[in-house]
Parts: sequence; structure tokens; C-alpha cells
Amino acid sequence: MKNIISKILLLGLLFTTANSCFKDLDTVPLDEDILTSEVFFAKDGAYRSVLAKIYAGLATTGQEGPAGQGDLGGIDEGFSSYLRQYWYQQELTTDEAVVGWADATIKDFHDMDWTPADVFINAFYNRVFYQIGICNEFLRQTSDEALDRRGTSEALRKEIKEYQYEARFMRALSYWHALDEFRNVPFITEQDAVGAFNPKRIEAKDLFKYIESELLDIEDKIAPVRTNEYARADQGAVWMLLAKLYLNAKQYIGEDKYTECLTYSKKIINGGYTLEPEFAHLFLADNDHNDEVIFPIAFDGLNTQTWGGTTFIIRAGLGGNLNPLEGSGVKNGWQGTRTTRQIVEKFGEIGGVIIDFHQRTSYPQVYIPGSYMGDTISTDFALTDSDKDKIYKGYQYFKEDNSSFVIAPYPSLNPAYGDSDGDGKLEFGGDPLVIEKAGFYYIEFNNNDKTYKIEKRDWTATGSALSEDVPFVYDEDLNMLKASANLNEGELYFKANNSEQITLSDGNADGILEENGNHLTIAQSGPVEIFLDLRKEDFIYKIASTSYDRRGIFGTNGQSLDINDISDFNQGYAVLKFKNITSTGEKGSNSEFPDTDFPLFRLADAYLMASEAILRGASGGTKADAVNYFNKIRSRAYQSNLANLDENTLNLQEILDERAREFMWEAQRRTDLIRFGQFTTDKYLWQWKGGVKEGQAVENYRRVFPIPAKDINNNPNLVQNEGY
Amino acid sequence: MIFFYFYILFQIKQQKSTMKRRFTNHLKVFYFILFLIPISLISQKTVTGIVTDKNTKEPLIGVYVVVKDTLVGGITDFDGSYKITVPKGYNTLKFTFVGYQPIEKEINSNSVINIEMSEGQLLDEVVVIGYGTVKRKDVTGSLKSVSAKDFNKGAVTAPQQLLAGKIPGVSITTDGSPGGGSAIRIRGESSLSATNDPLIVVDGIPLDNTGINGGRNNLNFINPADIETMTVLKDASATAIYGNRASAGVILITTKKGKLSDGLKVAYGAKFSVGKITKEVDVLKADEFRDLVNSRFEEGAKQRDWMGDASTDWQKEIYQNAYGQDHNLSISGGFGSIPFRASMGYTNNNGVLKTDKFNRLSGSINLTPGFINNTLQLKLGLKVSKSKNHFADKGAIGSAVGFDPTQSIHSDNEKFGGYFAWLDENGSIIGLSPANPLALLDQKEDNSNLTRYALNASIDYRFPFLTALRANLNLGLDNSNSNGTVFIDTTAAFAYNEDTGGGVDNDYKQSLKNKLLEFYLNYKEKLFGNDFDIMMGYSWQHFYQNSESHRSDIRKTEGNVSSSFDAAELYMLSLFGRVNYDINYFAFLTATLRRDYTSRFAPKNRAGLFPALGIAFKIIDNKNKYFNNLKLRLGWGVTGQQDIGGYYLYQGLYQKSTNTARYQFGDEFITTFRPNGYDSKIKWETTKTYNVGLDISIIQNRLSGSIEAYKKDTKDLLNYEVQVPVGSNLTNIVATNIGSMTTKGLEFSINSTPVNTQNFSWDFSFNTSLNRNEITKLNSDESSLGEHVGGISGGVGNTIQIHTVGYEPKSFFVYEQKYDSAGKLIPGEFVDRNGDGQVNELDKYRRETSSPRIILGITNNLTYKKFSLSFAGRAHLGNEVYNNVETDIGFLKRIDNLGVLNNIHRAAIDNNIEEQDQATYSDAYVQDASFFKLDHITLGYNFGKLIGKSFRIYTTVQNAFVITKYKGIDPEVFGGIDNNLYPRPRTFVFGLNVDF
Repeated sequence: MKNIISKILLLGLLFTTANSCFKDLDTVPLDEDILTSEVFFAKDGAYRSVLAKIYAGLATTGQEGPAGQGDLGGIDEGFSSYLRQYWYQQELTTDEAVVGWADATIKDFHDMDWTPADVFINAFYNRVFYQIGICNEFLRQTSDEALDRRGTSEALRKEIKEYQYEARFMRALSYWHALDEFRNVPFITEQDAVGAFNPKRIEAKDLFKYIESELLDIEDKIAPVRTNEYARADQGAVWMLLAKLYLNAKQYIGEDKYTECLTYSKKIINGGYTLEPEFAHLFLADNDHNDEVIFPIAFDGLNTQTWGGTTFIIRAGLGGNLNPLEGSGVKNGWQGTRTTRQIVEKFGEIGGVIIDFHQRTSYPQVYIPGSYMGDTISTDFALTDSDKDKIYKGYQYFKEDNSSFVIAPYPSLNPAYGDSDGDGKLEFGGDPLVIEKAGFYYIEFNNNDKTYKIEKRDWTATGSALSEDVPFVYDEDLNMLKASANLNEGELYFKANNSEQITLSDGNADGILEENGNHLTIAQSGPVEIFLDLRKEDFIYKIASTSYDRRGIFGTNGQSLDINDISDFNQGYAVLKFKNITSTGEKGSNSEFPDTDFPLFRLADAYLMASEAILRGASGGTKADAVNYFNKIRSRAYQSNLANLDENTLNLQEILDERAREFMWEAQRRTDLIRFGQFTTDKYLWQWKGGVKEGQAVENYRRVFPIPAKDINNNPNLVQNEGY
Repeated sequence: MIFFYFYILFQIKQQKSTMKRRFTNHLKVFYFILFLIPISLISQKTVTGIVTDKNTKEPLIGVYVVVKDTLVGGITDFDGSYKITVPKGYNTLKFTFVGYQPIEKEINSNSVINIEMSEGQLLDEVVVIGYGTVKRKDVTGSLKSVSAKDFNKGAVTAPQQLLAGKIPGVSITTDGSPGGGSAIRIRGESSLSATNDPLIVVDGIPLDNTGINGGRNNLNFINPADIETMTVLKDASATAIYGNRASAGVILITTKKGKLSDGLKVAYGAKFSVGKITKEVDVLKADEFRDLVNSRFEEGAKQRDWMGDASTDWQKEIYQNAYGQDHNLSISGGFGSIPFRASMGYTNNNGVLKTDKFNRLSGSINLTPGFINNTLQLKLGLKVSKSKNHFADKGAIGSAVGFDPTQSIHSDNEKFGGYFAWLDENGSIIGLSPANPLALLDQKEDNSNLTRYALNASIDYRFPFLTALRANLNLGLDNSNSNGTVFIDTTAAFAYNEDTGGGVDNDYKQSLKNKLLEFYLNYKEKLFGNDFDIMMGYSWQHFYQNSESHRSDIRKTEGNVSSSFDAAELYMLSLFGRVNYDINYFAFLTATLRRDYTSRFAPKNRAGLFPALGIAFKIIDNKNKYFNNLKLRLGWGVTGQQDIGGYYLYQGLYQKSTNTARYQFGDEFITTFRPNGYDSKIKWETTKTYNVGLDISIIQNRLSGSIEAYKKDTKDLLNYEVQVPVGSNLTNIVATNIGSMTTKGLEFSINSTPVNTQNFSWDFSFNTSLNRNEITKLNSDESSLGEHVGGISGGVGNTIQIHTVGYEPKSFFVYEQKYDSAGKLIPGEFVDRNGDGQVNELDKYRRETSSPRIILGITNNLTYKKFSLSFAGRAHLGNEVYNNVETDIGFLKRIDNLGVLNNIHRAAIDNNIEEQDQATYSDAYVQDASFFKLDHITLGYNFGKLIGKSFRIYTTVQNAFVITKYKGIDPEVFGGIDNNLYPRPRTFVFGLNVDF
């Protein structure tokens, strides 16, 4: 009996112990950086930090910058960036960009033979719906019921309302991208719960209506134009998205909405934005404070790091002989993207540069430190020995009378050579040499016999290309000689002290000046600026047209204009428009990750949309208005009215070309080419369009990307786009 | 007294249930057992005696001696003696012992009763199975034990290596690095992305599969010299008792214990080894490279200027002769009356890759005392290990293969520590240029320290009043701590950064704390005249880990300093039971049932039920001189899998961003919180296994063999990366259950002793297995290509393998290469297999060759007088390897890629491959990697007793030779993608064993 009791006891014990341990299984994260939703939303600033994630969804790729804890799976995290994939689809498919990398199917974009299995198309599609998904989640978590449950205060509820309008704008923005790239897509709103279900499909016309109605609903509720914090959406962003939706309505739903486009473009034009005077400043590291940008994607070298975004745009386009750090403010380039000949040619003379500075070669040098430098000794000032005959030559500008200097092996005043006894021969430790009268001097030092020569030389541009001689003046900021002149066809050379004894010119036009050699032949006429940089050998110079389109910011050094081999980075000009340096020339905060923000919407677009809408028959504007809007953009680009168009010369093709120039690499090109019927057709061909060098038309259905095969397989509600 | 016990229980329950207390809560089971013990102490008369075998007159150890009809009893100790106090009024002792006829004896007035027992049947070999043992002849499932004498010899530093090639269906791929890990696959893979590593149970403690940061091999804490047996459980009828983690098979490791009967033994073993690489990747020599550059680029071309004056064989420079030593000292015997074994081991191995080092000091103690007439048996084990690693940067391997051979290792550029680096004309490092392999090795200090201690205590109590009932409590504690630092000086070109000054100063630490409590009752009795054995148990396991890491450059530049902290835990609870029933000594039936709970899944999906059934028909059982044994085994069972990595997979969570992933609002940077994707319905992956086996043993067991066939069906595959319908979740990829898979196989093994004379003996064993896996269902429909897997070098995101329904997982997905009439490859030309006039993704086809179709293993042990010779080898047949080394560097354009010179694989010239994409997806690079490897050959000499000690010396050549057609450095590539693997050295070992 006793032993039966014992047995029963033991078994009973066994199971009671087991049951008491079942609550062990209800684990929650122990890591304070990962919280359950109820714990999380009780924290201060919780709602704001989710809103920030919605915006960050366009910029970062995960919760650890630059990579780590990625938002998406199935693709390298750097590739999963919203902007990077949007850029691939909008730019690599067009004349504006090619990429040389061997990554998966990346070359299919420019070849225009992508398939529904494409990993990059899948990645962008996923990213768009990721964004829509977290907007929906935010709206669900801020439903009245959820806020009541958490006992949210009235003050916080008011703030949350503001956030909700922005979340809805952000969702509309991504739905617009879905419409533009994929047309008939899955459709989910905050009404759908998270879980395993197959979202229903929405057709383009209904999606168009949905986006329109959402935007019209929030138009007057969201923060008024230009009143929100930087990088957050306001009324201006809503107007802009409406204008872009209407401009392309014909593509999406087969109906013209140009009048509506004009209406909203004009709201923006009258919204208080102004064009940034210097075009180039729109794309620099400090572009987060200007009055032209309506809605940016914000990046920061320290706080918002990613391998996509502007990091990708800037670094993928650098390599070869393009010196990244000095020119673009990043540590190195990734040797990927360039542009085609067809784009370069739209700018006429590239960047107005007729002859550019030749890359300097390093030669043995001696330094000429002295009183004229002030407190810091610059290594930029030196004499060089290009032919290794131990005779060092160079020019130096002395701003003040009685400037002194020594000749030194290092950039230091000691040890150095001077001339105490004034015998024209230097001695070690001798007194500094003194320049009595300010001016531009030639200095020569012969290390064989320690003799030296100092001679004041004033330079003039002369020759048959000029109607009269033009003297150079020294530009202290640039540390070089500069002259403005009007060139004709003919010969050009430079002479010292108004005498033919010492001249400099460049008969072989290689960018390096030769002493007393043949003269440079000028083939075109127009206003120019000439720069002579004679600090060290090689003596180099630059001639740049002053009436040119400032938007053509190309890298040509070592690059060919034509592309015979897309894999070769040196073929095709680089686009150096985006940079990680500030408008004052400072480097960005991090040479790995630029500070440069991406202007997703900016005022110039509203002007060109208004102009185009009028030309396409919108009511509410005249052709004169169209010309006026158009010329706002032109005159900024040329910094003059010289290139402006009039009612006779402005046409739709001019607008398309102008958009190419204005928005190069700003992820607009594919949509523009489609609207003008030039994306797939043979109306316009560019190098390697359709996979052949001279370009060829491709199937019309490629105006829309395929629904990725994975999602078609997963979701039976979806239908593949025509042609795929 | 019982009341008192419940009072205590109640008190404990009142206490707040913190994590720590939960563990102590379980101790109440233990208290309960202690409480039962005193019952047997109420007694009046003492009887002693010795129990011996009737034939041999040897004392019998472990005989149960019980006073009939009472709770009182005991067990004989090592010299066969027992002592028992008989309560008043009882007068009969009952002696029972497995394999012997039970005896009852009246006490009368005797105080000494000596008993001789005679064998009922031959004493059977007993095999360790989960929660108990079973007689070998009764085994119903597929399992196999390997004991110390059959282990692989040589410079073995990790337990896994002992088993390679020994068991059919078990493939073990060992890494070449010192102390490196091994991938074990039992009967192929049955999961796509949950773990395919078997569950390893060491002395009753199931280990955590999670590796620790800074560790090389999860089993490094066990000194191979301490292992007694390793048992591999392959089919579900054997593994289901470990249901929750058993889908990939189970390996039970039992360590050596001391025996009182053996007296005090001291043994010392030492090994000295030197390893050398066997082969280099076939790249151009410096002169050939120079000629090629000169012929490709004309006079004055910049590429010619880039060349250096040196002739450097970079592969030769990064490798070294790897010296190693290993020492073991063990003492075993009795400490008083407590059997014990203590051992210490020291291993110091260098890698063949320069600067790679592994250093381990390990110790273990096993105590196995018995109390209260041995009715209470304790097994206490402690294993401690401390290891130190210096990790060489394995990137140096790939870098050396492709580095310009005309450059010298060193330059006079002090800025970069005197190492050659690719610089532009301004003296800056060229972006994306490859790192100097020697700089990578010398300028990176990557060190880690690990300590681990594993404590197990098992208490086994046989109830004196009911000797058929046994209670077992098993407690385990397994703690690991690691810390490490990575330091790269600012002078290192490969870590140079203009903004921050460069360099790396990282450190990390991690600790894992795993606890186990298991309790089971085992009742063995005759039922209807047959043996009946029932076991029921409960198991509780807690896995906890926390880690911390800090990263920055040397100067700790703002914005470049980051820290992370992480902690997570997992609980698993199980109830399990097993019934064994021997039907008239003809059929043996085993039925098991296990119910498991895991905290990984939501309450609704937590429980998994894993049944299994096995039956063995003992058709012939020792009946005949020539036919000793013929047994048919049938097994069926279900096992589960939940080990997919994440800990909180079913919960919707918000995750904080680091400071480098914030977003600008106005002039402020906002830390973001992200709602993570999740599958609230994630559940167990289950594998159903069918197994048929036939065991034969003939000619007095001199020849024995088994043949087995199996089929495994896995459903609800846990997949870490499943793309869900877009829009249905908060991200595109979640961990969820998707797809099914089938594995089929045949296994055959034979063990024989062809010769066995006094002077000469020869043992021979051979095994072979065939295995095929096939995906039977994936979420994607039949028309889809499948899931791309198997990332390769050469283009970000490129993959070479694919999971497709109807094919083997990880099939190679490639183009069919075109060849000219002379059989020479035509670069970049592939067959348009679907005939649509263009060659694209749809023309790729699948080659189901990433894992071997047939695996063979062979072992021979020969002894002649005092000499012994053993050798063992393995073969893999029918597998192919994607030669990613050739595709990554075997193209001519690479020579001046990215503005620097790079060496190329000779295949580039042989095949005239100009561009990388002419090679990447070509099936010409999926190459036959069938091989035979002689893993080791050992020659030993046993001196016998010299100066009172027994000496044995031996020498081993490990990885002696490989026969293969494969052109890369080694055909044995786990996963089938050869991408600069760490070379497995050929190692020469000299060893010495002394028994004192």
C-alpha cells in the first residue's frame, strides 16, 4: 500500500512541477532595444520615432547604419535602399546612366531585357510595399481605439494627428511609385491586419483615384506650405505629388489631367519657394538649407548612413582618374555608373570648358617659404625641376612690398638657403631673399652652382584670336592668373612683360604650356575666362566659356565619350553633379557617407511641369506663361538670358531635353521618356539601348515593369503585366 | 513526514518566481528522493556476503539484493559484497542480476550469506540510448556506437573528427584551421534553413548548438582523449525520445569514468605534429605574369609601369609549417570507495595560415560514487576548458591567390607599416585595391579567450522496496564565457581612413548559460512472462545568452564608435515516455512518445507531439555456431525541429535604431523605431522517418553487417527567409513554415575480423551509403524557377544554387557551356536550351550534384606481435564543386581591373576567358569532385612493460593522400562552393602513450 502511495505521489509531483514551469515559456525580449508594442508606445517620443522610421525608409536600409538589421531580406542590404533601387529603375534604363558592375542582372536595366525574376526589380517592389506596410502599421497603432486603450493624452493625440497626415502622404508617395513602375499592384491599407493573407489586386485607374483622393483629403490638413520641420512633408509636397500624378495621368489611366497639373504646379510656384541661384549648390553636402527644395530625402555622414542613397549616387560614379576626395569629398569611387554620349551632347560644349587643367605630374621640388605666407607654411608654393637638370623653376605672387623668402628642401624656414652677401649665390643659412616691389615673379634656383634668378613677369594674353591684348590679374583665391576675353578663331599665346622674348603657349593643345613654342589654335569664338597656373611645373592653364550651361557637370579626365564596353569604367563620361563637399568647399562630415540630401521634389520641376502642361493644352495658362516658366530655368542654368527661348522656339522636345539637363540623375528620366513616347521606341536611341551599341527599340510593354515572379507565385490575386 | 514534505513544497511555491528560483524549484524533485531514502533505514538485523559467478568465481558487481516483500535492499559493490539490514519478521533475500537466474535464499540465523549465481543467458552488450540503455540485440532503431579503440587517430583536436568515415550515412567535413569546427550531417539534410546540425548530448546533457563569439568549435571543450564512446542515433525510433531537437539526428557522447576494480591507473599521452599544405591554387608565376602584362599592354602603357620588380609567390608566403603538440594526463581508480577519473589536457596548435593559433587547457573530473548499498548512484562530472585563439585573417587566402606576383611584400613606405600597398600618384590608397596578404596577417591582432565549464550531476536511485523502479534526476549546467579584441593599427593600408585616421579597435564579450533539469522514472518488470520496461520523464531546459560589443577606429572618432548589447533566452519543456516490451525473446518492441514545448512559438503552437515505434525481430539469436544473429528492424517516428535562430519569432516587436541610422527632422536627428515583421503562426517543422534494417552476424560474430533503408519526409519546413505575399506583413521576408522535403537512402556496413591469431590479427570495416534529398513542395508554384541560394564571389548578390520543387536542395543552376569541335570551350557561348533564340535565365539548368550521391568509409586495424598498423579512408562519389576560385579570378580582364594589377587563374588562359561573366554561370566550372581520401595511416609499436611502465609509440600521417579529378586545392568542400577554403594540411604526427 505504502509503495503505491509513493508511486502516485511521485507521478503527481512530476506533473505539478511541469505545470508550474509552463509560464517560463512566455518569454519577452531581454534586449532593451527591442520592445513589444505596448511597452514601446508607452515611451515618450514613441510615435515620433516611428514617423521618423517612415521617412527614414526612403533613406536607410535597416536599423544599424550603414548596414545591419536590414528592413528587407533576400537582397544585399546596400542594394535594398529605396532611393538606390528607384534610381536603378528610373536612370539605368535610360540614356542618363549605364553601370559597369557584374552584380546579378544589373546590366539588364540598360539592355532593357529584364525579366519578372529580376532581383533588383523585386527589391524595389518589396521596398515600396515595405514603406506602405509601415505607414499602415502606424495608422493602425494610432487608431482611436488604440489611443483610448493606452489612455493617450489630448496634447499627444493632436500631435499624432499631424503625424497621421504625413504617414498618409508617405503612403501615397509610395503608391505613386508603385503606379508609375508597376501599375496593377497589391493594395493594402490600415484596415488589413498583419499576417498570412493574399492582398487583393488594385487596377491602375482605381489606384490613381485612391492616391488622388488621399492627397486631396490631406491637402488642407497637413502642415501649410513651408511650415513644417526640414525633411518632413507639408502642403507643398502634397501639391507636388498631385501635379506629377496629373502630368502623367494619360499614361496611368488614359485621361488628360494637364489642367489639374497646371493648377497644382502654380500653387507651388506661388507657394513661396525660390530657385537656388547657384544650380550646383542644390547637390552639395550643405543642401539642407535652401529655398528651392520642396521635399528631400535626407542623409548625413554621421547620423544617417547607408550604402544606398546619395552614397551610392556619388561613389558609384567615381573611379579611374577622377580624383574623388578632392573633387567630390568621398574617400574613393566604386567605378560603376557613367552617362551616354547622347546626354553629354545635349549640353553642347561640356560645362563650357574648352581646355581644362592638365593633371599635374610630381617633380622634384624645393620650397620657398617666407614672410609672405603669413603664419602657416604652404606646400603649394615650390620650385620644380621637370627635366632633372637640378634647375628648379616656378612663379610666385607677392602681395606686399618687401616680402622675403628662402629656398628650402622642406616646407620649413630652417634649414634653408639665403643670400647674405647679395652676390647672386645662395649660401646655407643665409639671409632671406627680399622682393622689394609686390607683383608676380619668376624664380629660378640652380642647385649645381647655387645661383638664382628672380624676375618680375607680368603676363598678357595675345595672338590673332584676340582683337586686343588682355592682361592677366592675379586671383588670390584661386592662386592663379586670370583674364576675361572674347575669343575669335585664330592663334592664342601668352607673353611676359609685353615682349616676345618670353612666351608661353600650347601648340599641341595637351593642356601643358611650353616656353617659346608653337601657338595654340582656337577654333571657336565667344566670351571666355583664361586661367594660368604657373606655381609649379608643369605650367598648366584652362580656358572656359562664360556663356555655358552650368548643369553639365561631367568628369572627363581619362574617360572616353563613347561606350564600347559597358563593363569598362573609363568609357563614358562621369557625372559629378552630386558631391560631398559644401558650397564653401569644405568636405562633408564623413568621406565614406555623404551629407548630401537628395532633392526628390524641387521648384524647378514645377516650372517645367507648368510649361509642359500648357504646351499640352492645359487651360489656365498661355504660351507666354509657358515660355516665362521655361526661361526661369534656362536663365539660371546659363547665368544669363543668352540662351532663352521664345514662343516660336519653345516646343515639347525642348522641354524634354531641358528636363534631361535639369534633372540629370535625379530619378526622373524614365517617367519623362515614357510620357514623350521615347522610352521604348526608335524615335530616340541612345548607346546600348536595347543591348546594342547604336541602340534599338524594345517591346512597348517595357514601359511598365513586371510584377516580380516571386509575388505572382505567392499571391494568386495578382495578374502579370502584359507582355511579361 | 509526507505532510512535512508538502509543507516544504508549498513554501517554495510561495516564493516569487524569478528566473533563478525557477531552477531551484526543480530541486524539489531531488528533495523528494532524499526524503524517501530514510525509509530503508528502519531495520534490525545485518546480513553480509559476497555474490560470485558460478562458473568463473569472479565477484559480481551490481547485483540487487532485496529482503523479500519489503522496501529494504541494496546492491553489491566492486568486490561483489553486500551488506543489508533485515527488518524484523522477514526471512528471505532475493538476488537478481541482469542475465543471471534470480535466486531466493532464506536467512535463518546466518549473518553471512555467500551466493553463486549462474548465467541465464550470455551477458549482452549494452548500448546507450536516450534516457537509458538497451541490450544491443534488442535495438530496434538505427544507431551505432563507436568506442575509443575505433576512433580516428592522428592530430585530432575536436571530438567530431573521431567519427569521420566510421558510420554509414554520417558525413563529417572538418575545417583545416587549428581547433576548427566540423560540419556533421546525418543522412543528408532534412531542413532548408533551420539547423541541420545533429543534437549532441554529452553525458546526458543536450548541448546548445549556438556557437559562441570568438570560438572555433562548439565541442572544443571536450578533450577527445576523455571520450569513451560516441553513439549516433539516426532514425526516428531511436531519436524521437529527444523529439524536439532530433530531426537532424543525435550524437551521444559518454566520457570515461573510473572503476574501482581497475586499481589506480595513471596514463600519459603526448603528440607532436607538423602540418603542411598540400597544394596551391594554380595562378601565374611572376615571370609568366610579367610576360602576359607585356603582351597585353603596349610599350608605355600605364599597366606596365604598375609592375614591380619582385617575384613573390604570395601563397607560399602566407602559409607555414604548422607545429602542434598535445598532452594528456589522466588518473583513474578509486578515491577511497569512490570511483573517479580526472584528466588534464593541453593542446597547442598553429595553423598553416601564418599567425593562426589555437591553445587549449582542459580538465575533467568524473566521480561515480554509490551510496546506501549502492541503491543511490551519483554521477558527477565537471569539464573545464580554457582556450586562447589568435585568428588569422582568412581574407589573406583569397588575397594571396589573386595578388600581383611582381610586387614585393615590403616597401619602404613607412606610412603603411613598411608593407606594399597600391597607391596612386598622390600617395593615397587606390580605392577598392586588394589588401597585401601579409599585411592582413601581420597587422591584424584578432584574439579571443574562452572559458567553459560544464557540470553534470545525475542521481540514480533504485527503490529498495521495488527494485524494478528506478528514479533518475539529471542536472546540468553549461556556462561559456568569451571575450575578444580586434586591433588593427592606423598604419594598416587595408583599414586606412583619411577622416578617422583609420585602424580598428573592437572588442566583444559573450556569455552563454544553459541549464538543464531532467527527471525520469524507469520501471522494469516481467509482464506476462516477458521483459517490460517503461520510462517516463520530464525535462526543462533554459538557454540564455548575452553579448556585448564595441567597435571603433583607433582614435575613437565621433560617429564611428558603436556599441551593441544583446540578450536573449529560450525555454524548452518536455514530457516523455518509452515502453520496451520483449515478446517471447523473438520480437522486441519500443514505443516512445514525447511532448515538447518551446518558447520560440506562440502559446497555441508551442507544443509538438513526437511519437515513434520500433520493432525488432530476432530471427536468429545465438542459436547456431555459424549463424549467430539475424535481426530485422522496422521503425517509424516523428521528430521535430524548432532551432531556426531567432528567439521571439512570433511576436510583433519594435526595434530601435543605432545612432547611425537616425533621421533628420529639422535640425535634430531622431532615433527611429521599426515595427518588425513576424509570423504569429510559426510552428514546429516535423520529420517523419521510416526505417528498415537487417543485422546479420556470422561465424562467432567474426563477420557482422547491417543493411538499412530509410525515408524521411519533412513538412512545414522552417525557413528563415521566406518571401511572403507582398503587403501581408511588415517586411518581405519572414521566418515561417514553408515547403516539404523527402530524403531517401540506403546504408550498408560490414565489420569483420578475417584473421585472429595470437601473433596476427586484422580487423576490417567498411560502410557505404546512398542518399538523395528532394524538395517536394515550396511556396512558389511549379512554374517558378525556385529560391536562389549559394552566394558566390564575383558580383554582389550573385548565387549559383537553387531550391526547386522536384530537385535536390542547392542544385547548381548554370548554363550549359558550348565547346568547339576540338572540345575546347567557347568563351561566353552557352546552349540555348529552350530554343527561344536568346540565352537568358530560362536557359539555365539544374545539376543535382552539390552533395555526394555515395559515401564510403573504410577502416583497417592490423596487429602483428607488438606492431600495429591502422588506416582509414573515405570516398565521396557523384558530387561536384563549383570552382568559385576559377570563376572569381580566372578571367583576363582582371589583370588590370580597378586600376591595379591582379594575378589570374591559369584557367583564364587555358579557356581564353576575357570577361568574368563568360565564366560565372558556366557549367564548365561545376567540376567533378568525387574523391578518395586516406584520412590517416598510423603505425604503432607497443613496448609492453619497460621499467615497470607500459609504453606505446606511434606515428601517423593524417590526410595522407587524395585521389580526385578536381583541379582546385581540395575536393572536399562543404556546401559545394569552393571559395578560397582554408587548406587542410597534411599532418605528420608522432605520439607516445605511457601507462604508469
